[in-house]
Amino acid sequence: MKAAPFAYVRPAGVDDVLAELADGTGKVLAGGQSLVPVLAMRLGRPATLVDITAVRELQDLRAHPDRLRIGAAVRQRTVERAAQARAVPLLGLALPFVGHRELRSRGTACGSLAHADPAAELPAVACCLGATIEVAGPQGRRAVGAREFFRGAMTTAAGPEEVVVAAEFPAAGPGEGFGFGEIARRHGDFALAGVATAVRVGRDGALADARLAGFGISDRPVFRDVTALLREAGSPVEADALREATTVLADEMVDTGGDAHGSTGYRRRLFAVLAARELATALRRATPQE
Amino acid sequence: MTQLDDRATTGARYPAPRPQRVEAGELAEVTLTVNGTETTVAVPARMHLADVLRERLGLTGTHLGCEHGVCGMCTVLVDGEAARACLLFAVQCDGAEVVTVEGLGTADDQHPLQRAFSAHHGLQCGFCTPGMLMSSYDLLANPPGETGEGPAEQMSGVLCRCTGYRGILAAVADVAESCPDGPPPPRNCGARTLVGRSAVPPVTGSGTVAGGVPEVPEEIREPGGAPSATVTVASTLRSPVEEVWRVLADFDRLARCLPGAQLVETLDGDRYRGRATVALGPVRLAFEGLAQVVERDPKAHRMRVLAQGADTGGSATRAVIRLAVDPADGGALLRADADLHLSGRIAQFGRALAGDVGRRMFEQFAEAVDETAHTGRAPELRAGPSPVALAAAALRDLSRRALRAGRDRVTTWFHARRRHP
Repeated sequence: MKAAPFAYVRPAGVDDVLAELADGTGKVLAGGQSLVPVLAMRLGRPATLVDITAVRELQDLRAHPDRLRIGAAVRQRTVERAAQARAVPLLGLALPFVGHRELRSRGTACGSLAHADPAAELPAVACCLGATIEVAGPQGRRAVGAREFFRGAMTTAAGPEEVVVAAEFPAAGPGEGFGFGEIARRHGDFALAGVATAVRVGRDGALADARLAGFGISDRPVFRDVTALLREAGSPVEADALREATTVLADEMVDTGGDAHGSTGYRRRLFAVLAARELATALRRATPQE
Repeated sequence: MTQLDDRATTGARYPAPRPQRVEAGELAEVTLTVNGTETTVAVPARMHLADVLRERLGLTGTHLGCEHGVCGMCTVLVDGEAARACLLFAVQCDGAEVVTVEGLGTADDQHPLQRAFSAHHGLQCGFCTPGMLMSSYDLLANPPGETGEGPAEQMSGVLCRCTGYRGILAAVADVAESCPDGPPPPRNCGARTLVGRSAVPPVTGSGTVAGGVPEVPEEIREPGGAPSATVTVASTLRSPVEEVWRVLADFDRLARCLPGAQLVETLDGDRYRGRATVALGPVRLAFEGLAQVVERDPKAHRMRVLAQGADTGGSATRAVIRLAVDPADGGALLRADADLHLSGRIAQFGRALAGDVGRRMFEQFAEAVDETAHTGRAPELRAGPSPVALAAAALRDLSRRALRAGRDRVTTWFHARRRHP
């Protein structure tokens, strides 16, 4: 469980990072909480690790009026603790499920996105909210919508010569409520199935829109606009009708093959239950209390 | 717009790492503050923090289980937060402050968490205990706020294969209740010697130099921190006080009485260069070192000696030895007590065995002093007690005590057995 030898470089600027990545043999290291196990098991043997944590710009965590910008070197626990991160309540709901406290001490939010594990929580949050991921490369910088960013298991729109520099999550507006849930065999394990939900209601209390993203159910997070589905479940929501609707939704969304921990059918059932539960939770939170 | 929190926005909570470049096969100089002591080590980029702590700094309290971030055995505090030491390359930690279980407390001065783990029987085999302690320290020092998680989920980052979780959770809950403002700071952090065991030594703060040849230091510093073992031996000798003192006062003769020791050179300032061999089972350590008599009171028949030595394998020892001779029953009572500070490979012997070996050595020392005082000449070096015999005696002693100790034997063996390689 010792990593194979590699060169290590910790540049001071994004341009230096890109110069190190230019030949395509380097791998970006931020918190390393997903990468180092891969190296330890020698599943990956990059020639160079490019540590981005010394780049000042990437250490920035900033709340703008309409969005939260998280630099690529910002640790998950920093986000968990930061007052300005409360502008994005769904992050606060999801982060406690990311690995363990000891991993979040070092792991970065953007690292979770860049690693793109199909069972990871933060990619689903990014898809659910329609976050933007900023990527720097030899051609300059571009912003990629989260729903286009994830291309498959551990595959993203960012190429090997590129680096994720930040992610921007939209701040919650009035009348928005969120839900998050997952089922894992043990706390901190990869989720068998999980869901992030966002529901918005108008001033009159009527449902305006509902979105969800599932994870652990496919080779990438799966996003759906479920406004019609939630509306058809009645107002107030009829639990049975909602559950029926999410069961149909699960059949369509869950396409991961079964494994020793759960068959496809089992994961569909988990996802249907979680989706119904967390949509109801988000709606309840979005609805103004009498 | 929410008021910006400076700490969180700039990342200034954590020390800013310096830019660095290390080629594969090269060594990087990494400066860490470990349990309050700053140390610099030269390490390959792929060496993780747990290996540096264990193999370079001799801090084997940090255990390794899976070495890929699953089990939590290697949990330490890095810049005040619990982290997996196997998932951090040491080069990433340049400038970081690390606290290990050794820094949390000592056997004689336990941290409240350690006392609570003991009181609630928060361990069975004890292998996960260092990780559990460091993780729970972090949990109580940096409470997560409202997450909807129970204590079991919050402590789920460290596994206990004995499944002794109930006692562990009870201990953590106890400290959470008795220390509502967070746990008191670690109790054993302070300047002391950290000496590694690897052939590639720390760059500074060590008793060895490159090439693995032990460097004999010019001066001896009083060791700091808690000793690895304390040995107290009182032997009744047939020789009168003055005769015994005459042997002790002559360092050449004194050294001949020390099993396995050899005086190489007498230096000024009551300093002596010497060599000592300790063998224990398959382990054989050859120390090159320096001793200095720092106090000598011929009237009261008391002396105090500081000694330090390093082995080619990187093991290091420091000792503060106090010798006192008093009249008793027509002969003399020789009392020796020593604080032994062990680091590197030797520290893996564990407290009980190091103490046993030390005690055995002093008993034989007392016999040799008596013989020297009685016959007027030092026993033949070859005829002196062999380190191997010492070791065997220590092991016999240990197993006898283990049998006597009955139920306690598991604990004894736990301290005595060699730690995980």
